[in-house]
Amino acid sequence: MVRPYGVKGRKLKKRKVEEPAPVEEEEEEVLSDEGEGVGVEEETGNGGEIAETEDEKRAEEAVNEMPGIPITAPVDKTKRPGVVFVLEKACLEVGKVGKNFQILNSDDHANYLKKQNRNPADYRPDIIHQALLAIFDSPLAKAGRLQAVYVKTEKGVLFEIKPYVRIPRTFKRFCGLMSQLLQKLSITAVGKREKLLNVIKNPVTRHLPVNSRKIGLSYSSEKLANLCNYVAAASDDATLVFVVGAMAHGVIDKEYIDDFISISEYPLSAACCLNRICSAFEQKWRIT
Amino acid sequence: MAKTAARSDPSKKEKKKKKGKGAKRLPSGPAAAAMKAAKPPPTLNPFETIWSRRKFDVVGKRRKGEERRIGLSRSLAVEKRKKTLLKEYEQSAKSSVFLDNRIGEKDDTLQEFDKAVLRLQRERQAQKVKEKEEDESLMAKLDEDFSMLAQTEALQALSHPSKMNALKALLNKDIKRESLKEGSSGLSDNKLIEKGHPDAYDKLVKELGSDRRAHASDRTKTPEEIAQEEKERLEELEKQRRERMLATDDSTDEGSDDDNVEIQNSASIKIRPTSGDDLGDSFSIADDVTGKKGWIDGIYEQNDADNQDESDSSSQDSEGDEDNEGDGDGKDGSGDEHVNISTMKDWEQSDDDDDGLNMDGEETENIDEKEVAIGDKLTLDLHEVKTSSSHEMNAAGNLAPAKEKELPYVIEAPKNLTELCSLLDSRSDDEVVEIINRIRAYNSIRLAAENRKKMQIFYGVLLQYFAVLATQSPLNFKIINSLVKPLVEMSAETPYFAAICARQRLIHIRTHFLEDIKNPGKSCWPTLKTLLLLRLWSLVFPCSDFRHVVMTPALLLMCEYLMRCPINSGQDAARGSFLCSLVFSVCKQSQKFCPEAIIYLQTLLTSSIELKLGLQQHSQLNHLMEIRVLKPWLHITDQTCAIHPLDFFAVMEMQEESPFFATDTFRASVLSSVSETLKGFIIIYEGFSSFAEIFSPISNLLHEVLQNPNLPGLLRDKMQDVLDLIKKKTDEHHMFRKPLQMRKQKPVPIKLLNPKFEENFVKGRDYDPDRERAEMKKLKKLLKSEKKGAIRELRKDSQFVSGLKETGRLMQEEERAEKYGKAMAFLQEQEYAFKSGQLGKGRKRRR
Repeated sequence: MVRPYGVKGRKLKKRKVEEPAPVEEEEEEVLSDEGEGVGVEEETGNGGEIAETEDEKRAEEAVNEMPGIPITAPVDKTKRPGVVFVLEKACLEVGKVGKNFQILNSDDHANYLKKQNRNPADYRPDIIHQALLAIFDSPLAKAGRLQAVYVKTEKGVLFEIKPYVRIPRTFKRFCGLMSQLLQKLSITAVGKREKLLNVIKNPVTRHLPVNSRKIGLSYSSEKLANLCNYVAAASDDATLVFVVGAMAHGVIDKEYIDDFISISEYPLSAACCLNRICSAFEQKWRIT
Repeated sequence: MAKTAARSDPSKKEKKKKKGKGAKRLPSGPAAAAMKAAKPPPTLNPFETIWSRRKFDVVGKRRKGEERRIGLSRSLAVEKRKKTLLKEYEQSAKSSVFLDNRIGEKDDTLQEFDKAVLRLQRERQAQKVKEKEEDESLMAKLDEDFSMLAQTEALQALSHPSKMNALKALLNKDIKRESLKEGSSGLSDNKLIEKGHPDAYDKLVKELGSDRRAHASDRTKTPEEIAQEEKERLEELEKQRRERMLATDDSTDEGSDDDNVEIQNSASIKIRPTSGDDLGDSFSIADDVTGKKGWIDGIYEQNDADNQDESDSSSQDSEGDEDNEGDGDGKDGSGDEHVNISTMKDWEQSDDDDDGLNMDGEETENIDEKEVAIGDKLTLDLHEVKTSSSHEMNAAGNLAPAKEKELPYVIEAPKNLTELCSLLDSRSDDEVVEIINRIRAYNSIRLAAENRKKMQIFYGVLLQYFAVLATQSPLNFKIINSLVKPLVEMSAETPYFAAICARQRLIHIRTHFLEDIKNPGKSCWPTLKTLLLLRLWSLVFPCSDFRHVVMTPALLLMCEYLMRCPINSGQDAARGSFLCSLVFSVCKQSQKFCPEAIIYLQTLLTSSIELKLGLQQHSQLNHLMEIRVLKPWLHITDQTCAIHPLDFFAVMEMQEESPFFATDTFRASVLSSVSETLKGFIIIYEGFSSFAEIFSPISNLLHEVLQNPNLPGLLRDKMQDVLDLIKKKTDEHHMFRKPLQMRKQKPVPIKLLNPKFEENFVKGRDYDPDRERAEMKKLKKLLKSEKKGAIRELRKDSQFVSGLKETGRLMQEEERAEKYGKAMAFLQEQEYAFKSGQLGKGRKRRR
């Protein structure tokens, strides 16, 4: 009655591990994020590894057969460094317009928002849409180097987006997805039980990898950094977490941020910032 | 049983009430407050003030009913249990129940006074009802008595005749009125119809009746029909021409009229060849004279008879040709081979004995079409008498007298070169084209099956004629040019035959070339005829095919020429550069790579450098062309020479030792054409990945060529242009070059998953596509929640009951303990008294 089928294992395991060593749990999560399957961790993860190793074996055999071709050490895909994005203050608010629940935006619901004594200029879900598209369309994401994306709305709802989600390309569909997420608190994949988007507990720091370095971006910061050099200088041991604001006005809060930098002399849009970050990583990791 | 019923009934009622009350009371503050005030002990439970909070505040969502005071509802539930369950519990130990069924006793809201009032009211009502009943029974009795009397009287009154009449009259009146109404309405309808003007619809209907029916238009004509009509038109024109020739005697007014018509016709016909390759559309001209068909048919039959004889004689040859078509390209049947070879021989002979065909006279007769038309008109009377005797022969395709000016309209296809030559001799260029057009129109393949053979032979003959023209020493380039169009069109009609002709010719040319190259003294470069034929084939056959029956060997042959022929003179250089441009035009579409042409161009450039330099630096290049004699053929020594486009035909006609080849003008012209061709090659080969390697030696060479101070400015600019182009493209190539990668494969992007969501999501709705399953789920959910609710209620009830029991037990225990204590105290007191001696006989007794 309680849980019809599926994902019992992980929860139990999580609970077990949580008490003695929360550190390990975090690591585990990160690892699982990198692999293909998260929902049914054990099976899919192992399956993927087996497939990979088989592939490697075959490649090695081929190399052995061919004389004169230098053998390169195979790169372990699971240990590649990745990057985490946190989008703060996303303007995603569900409102009841007529009979339906919709994500409020300044274009369609201007009169409605005025009636509710709210400023329509604050309701800008298109920013987060563009930002997410910028992240998920980048070669960085396609190469699988994205670890996770967290979004925190202005109301304080924090949700996680898996790095292999296809974000809806049209704004209307995106709004539909977000309104369903905020009402149902999770979105599954088509034809699977795996949760692609999931509302999680605040604060975001409990979901970030252990040795992560949180970098906040702000136009207001005095520390102007050349992003390419900055990223290239960062060591691969610590996971870089970029905190970018997805709001029209204001500054992100600095509570958990280690390094607060600005990357341009000009105030940039969130999508542009993210593009720059992605391209800096692509340069560093030679993703073309 | 009674007990259980009594127990369950009130509880149900209470539950229902509770629900209703809860719904009513909760939202409204004042009611709750009143209730609180009404409660006997006004003890304020602090938990009752706690409100439930919402997790997500949603804009626009009503707060009503959303939040509850959990503590309050809990205490309410406790109250309720006290009223129901407690009472039942108390009753449970009893054998009988006291039911208070007084009015207002079940309503808690009523005060004691109100209850009393209600009871009083009820009592009064009951009393009144009682009184009323008594009254009614009395009245009923009275009525009965009265009705007994009245019934009889009323019946009598009804049966009275006067009253009956009055009733009847009433009924009749109604009927009349109705009929009147009906009649008037029918009349008005009729009037409306008569009066009605013909409205739009009626008009339309009438028009539809008088409309003409649509007829099918003439169908579009098939190519065969068009060809047939063209043939008929030509025959008609021929007939009229003959008529004109005959009718000089009876030159009447009608004749002149006819002539006028003819003139118009001829003028319009004359325009035709200029209008391109369209065969028909001018049929309206022939429509005027369709009445005289019998005569034409006569001629037509006559012609047919002649044709058949000829076709019989040539049928064997043409059958051979047909076989050839069937056999295809690679295999050459023995039968057709000898036919082809015989024609080849004719061609080759024509190379030698061009004296026989004198075209010199033709030049003078280059007249415009209009002039021809006018000439026709003017010279009609003069020539018609003379030509009248020979028109029949002419019609049969035999030799036409040279003096005859007017063209015959109906011409049989010639079967060999001499026939064609006799037909075309002493004709102007335009007339030649016209003759060929008429032959093609009259013997169109679409008209008859045997025409195919005729046309194939004619095609061979025409090709021969083309070759012959190319060998004449004063080259008539105009007529050669004008022959190209019919040749191209005819090749399209008989593609197999054209391809076979071309292949045979190519084989022949190559055998000649191989013989020539063995003989070192003889120049092995292709003759002008060969060049022109190659050019013709490049126009006739598609150059873009990857592999083509004719074009592939032709291109190979051209490349072979470029590779193997030594450059012995300036003329050879010019020929080679022409061949290069030919190769370029062939390769342009297919972008085939011809290293021969490029190396040849390179050689020419090398020869423009001074000899010493060239030999030293390009030794690696020279070993490729060791057969070639490298002299500075194209080394320019004078800066002031002019550059103008080279007249290739003029160059070809010059002697090998002509001093022209030593002039700087010639050299500059050749170099300029070389650079143009080179530019073309650069443009078509820019996509090749080895572009840089192909053209880098050329760019080096060009650098050296440009070092020559005597280079004219224009040429220098051109070469610089080419050099810049090479550099630009090379740089582009170098920019996009990547090192070789092992096991190169595109990185595979990670597999993406689509999130599942609804466009208009409503919370709580099941989006399962399977209706039944969704329904089932819903029911299950309902069941589950109900079950949970019931369990919760039962648990709370049992807790409450156990609490009651506990208190009861505690009270009992306490009571017992008290009793026990009392008893003990009494006993102890007694014991004390006994021991202390207060209680005893002795004392009393003592007293």
